[in-house]
Amino acid sequence: MKEEIINIIADTLELPKNHINEKTNLIKDLELESLDIVELINAFEMQYGIEILDQDIKNLQTVEDIIKYIENKNV
Amino acid sequence: MYKLYIEKNISSEKLLKKVLDEYNIKDEIIYNEYGKPYLKNNEVYFNISHSGIYTVLVTSSSEVGVDIEKIAMHEKVMAKVCTDEEKKLIKNAEDFTKIWVKKESYVKFLGIGLSYGLKNVDTLKNNNFIIKKIDDYYISIYMED
Repeated sequence: MKEEIINIIADTLELPKNHINEKTNLIKDLELESLDIVELINAFEMQYGIEILDQDIKNLQTVEDIIKYIENKNV
Repeated sequence: MYKLYIEKNISSEKLLKKVLDEYNIKDEIIYNEYGKPYLKNNEVYFNISHSGIYTVLVTSSSEVGVDIEKIAMHEKVMAKVCTDEEKKLIKNAEDFTKIWVKKESYVKFLGIGLSYGLKNVDTLKNNNFIIKKIDDYYISIYMED
């Protein structure tokens, strides 16, 4: 799951994979802007067939947060 | 009333410091639960946005939101955040970018950001947006006073 999530982030945003790990903060470390975040959410939703609720977005700050969130969706 | 600062190749932090120095404000920056910054002890509101080479900052005597974005089409994002009526009006990258910055400036005005749900912002039913274009970027400022 971890590797897959990192691959999706790297592929969607065209970032080098070795810059991303579980502790990476999307805004502070990767300097993502809102457009990037919406692109990422869309990619996760398509890949896992889930819906990421708008109100949950503020809790998805690190790669680890995303992994736990998607795991909790029983993917 | 608002004042818009547009600068190239400067970080958000440096532009904020420069503007606060101009106002001679030495105040603590505090954040709401969604990360919107405020001055702790001043009645000056501000908001910052960054895209590509540009950083913009707006100051105002009331709540304000600002967004800048380089003109580009993002089909998947459009499908996700635009209403059906907005989608009908989007014919090109300029149309999309104008709607995107409007939505963003509104949720930044509210201080909620993406958690508000960009699809819930109907840009066709609100006339408070101030739109500016610089080079190949659009800027939207949103305020209600």
